Amino acid sequence: MTQNTPLIVENLSFRYRDRTGAAIHDIAFEAQAGEILLIAGASGCGKTTLIRSINGLIPRSYKGEMNGRVLVFGEETASWKLSQISQKIGTVLQDPERQILGTKVLNEVAFGLENLSVPREEILERVDEALKFLKIFHLRERETFTLSGGEKQKVALAGVLAMRPSILLLDEPLASLDPASAQDTLDTVRFLADQGMTVLMVEHRVEDVLRINPERVMFMSEGEIRYLGSLSGLSKVVNYREVKLPAEQIAERAKQDPPAVEIKILPGAAGNGSREAALVKFEDVAFGYESDVEVLHGIDLEIKRGDVIAVLGPNGAGKTTFVKHAIGLLKPKGGRVLVNGRDTKEASVAQIAGTLGYVFQSPSHMLFAPTVSEELAFGPRNLNHSKEQIEQEVKEALRIVNLSDKEQDPPLALSFGQQKRVSIAAILAMQSRILVMDEPTAGQDYQNYMNFMDAILGLPSFEAILFITHDVDLAVIYANRVLIVNDGRLIADGKPQDVLRDFDRLKANRLVPTSLLSLNLERLNATGRFLRAEALAHI
Amino acid sequence: MLVAWKYRKRRSIIQWFDPRAWLIFFGCYLVSTLAFWDIRFLSFFFVVALLVVFNSGVTWKESRRAYLFIIGFIFFFAMLTFLTGRGGSEVYKVEHTIREYKAPFSIIGWTPTLKITVERAFFALSQFVRVGSIAVMTILIPYSLNPALYGITFKGLGLPDKFAYAMDLTMRFIPTFARDFQLTVDAQRARGYELEKLSGGLVEQVRKMGPIFVPVTIHAIIGSEDIIDAMDLRAFGVGPRTWIDVLERHTRDRILIWLGVAILVASLVLGFLGYGKFWVPETLIRMFS
Repeated sequence: MTQNTPLIVENLSFRYRDRTGAAIHDIAFEAQAGEILLIAGASGCGKTTLIRSINGLIPRSYKGEMNGRVLVFGEETASWKLSQISQKIGTVLQDPERQILGTKVLNEVAFGLENLSVPREEILERVDEALKFLKIFHLRERETFTLSGGEKQKVALAGVLAMRPSILLLDEPLASLDPASAQDTLDTVRFLADQGMTVLMVEHRVEDVLRINPERVMFMSEGEIRYLGSLSGLSKVVNYREVKLPAEQIAERAKQDPPAVEIKILPGAAGNGSREAALVKFEDVAFGYESDVEVLHGIDLEIKRGDVIAVLGPNGAGKTTFVKHAIGLLKPKGGRVLVNGRDTKEASVAQIAGTLGYVFQSPSHMLFAPTVSEELAFGPRNLNHSKEQIEQEVKEALRIVNLSDKEQDPPLALSFGQQKRVSIAAILAMQSRILVMDEPTAGQDYQNYMNFMDAILGLPSFEAILFITHDVDLAVIYANRVLIVNDGRLIADGKPQDVLRDFDRLKANRLVPTSLLSLNLERLNATGRFLRAEALAHI
Repeated sequence: MLVAWKYRKRRSIIQWFDPRAWLIFFGCYLVSTLAFWDIRFLSFFFVVALLVVFNSGVTWKESRRAYLFIIGFIFFFAMLTFLTGRGGSEVYKVEHTIREYKAPFSIIGWTPTLKITVERAFFALSQFVRVGSIAVMTILIPYSLNPALYGITFKGLGLPDKFAYAMDLTMRFIPTFARDFQLTVDAQRARGYELEKLSGGLVEQVRKMGPIFVPVTIHAIIGSEDIIDAMDLRAFGVGPRTWIDVLERHTRDRILIWLGVAILVASLVLGFLGYGKFWVPETLIRMFS
């Protein structure tokens, strides 16, 4: 019987060599063929450690103290070589960019088979089979760094599937994908499971995964399993503020709680200053990284006091290129960008940074200081803030991102989610008037990002906020203006209830309506604006 | 993620040959050029380099920045050698002064003097032609060799699988590092950091570069760990590997290799016989004696 079970994990515990506490304790479960097991939980709860223990990176690449057993079809994997494990267990890492090695798609998908010394003709057959299976055969000769985020994810998956594993481990496969690409990936995963593969999927975007009906859900907290069972039982045991459940379920459960206090968005913007004067103005902006290829075409836009703008659009649409013009990191090839009436071509980035704070997508490109507090003081010091002011700004920024207890920790030793929050706090501490964030919630757990978004939006210092996101619900909850960017053009610009009600337009721009959007549209006559699910419960 | 150089298929003399043949020829060219200081011999290598450049299919538009940077760099060092006379003293002993300029002041008894000699001028010129020929040929490689074939090319040159793949990754590490460096500079500029306005002494300036160097280094280390994990998870290094790309060697490749080897042997023999050492025209020496 044990030999027929693809995966058995028995009393598994692991402590990293350089850490004091165990990352996971006494994890025990089985996974059957054809099953999708969704693994959810907050950042740092042990999900990735569990995946590494199953795929063999622990203890081979990550050293530490390990107890318990992992059995694949009844055989313990402790004595197996990584090459043996990789033929049974395929792993797709969180960010496909970190997994792809080949220059061309063909080389990337063939990589594992080449390492196993499979004959060349067989490799080519298996590569083509995997590419056709995932419907990406047309990408076969493309260079991998030219692929979109969704295409990269599929190519990484093809590279694993070509090795014909029985068990597939997916570590946050949706983190960097636009909604339509995420849905495509999920449909593929469902199909693979229906073909008999065992799938373990770690994912924060629980609501999205629920659409493909995973057979079971595991909810982890502090390195332990808090829930393991059917989908229907999940909403009963977890706090709806911890895990993002479908909006109807949140609304149903929130009815029993008192109505939450509504956050006053951008309280500082209501003060002095005209609503009409543009803080940032794009005038017919065109741009291309290479002189003969234009990637932004004729962007006209004004960001005004009180605007909370969500920028939506597919991977590779030009969203980041567009917002990098606001801080002057990119200068337009045509048209102009004005920040506070000053042309960005005539100001340095450092000068603009005093007015407009920009949070980059990846925290690892900016963290350098020995402690979190020194990291946060760097920006204000460059802007010549006083010592007392800097101290206060650092403390306030740490409180907002819930990292006050990490003040003296080295930022580079923190988890990815915590590093991301440090990168946001580093910009908050600069006390700019306008805040621009590039995918602030990517790779963050639901409770954390909702908390810091609430705190940021409630800050009195900002006059306008703009954020790029793939999360339609973030636009629904926080934005009072939504932009859709696709193919370097501004496709839509308006109130969320006007822009997001056009489902055909959403579909054309690789966006997918969510349960919260649908619930809000149903009740729009009564509410007059979009609200979060907890607030809808009391209307 | 590793990015690749700006390669594309083009009508190119380099791409007409098998990459292994071209790298062997390039290796022979490199060593041969380094065997000479005589500008008459170096002119031959310079002409070869120019012929290759004009038939490489690499346009001025796409390679302008690289050329301007490297030519500027070489010109700067050649000028430095010319003005200071350092470097050349190993290849010439006697100098023939063309003109000498003395500063109208002294510093603790020392009067700064600019001495222009026939030897310094010719040494700077030879140095420019020598290093320039090698640089011009080297710049063409990333534009002309298909990154998808780096691994199999090094394997074909006799390197073991692991080293061949490591060379493949190393070749792609350079443009990746440049991209990460730019991202870090941008991220820090967005925090009010101005690289152009660094002040203080050398040590202080290096310390102030920390916000750039630390993230770039850490990112490179983390990136390497990710690459190792990704390779381990797909069984890299467990034994001999199959390479799906296949390279074919034609007659023209053999001719190119033999040509490269012939140039190398001839250069070494000439060097052994005492030819190709630093040379200055006799007329000029007589003129300034």
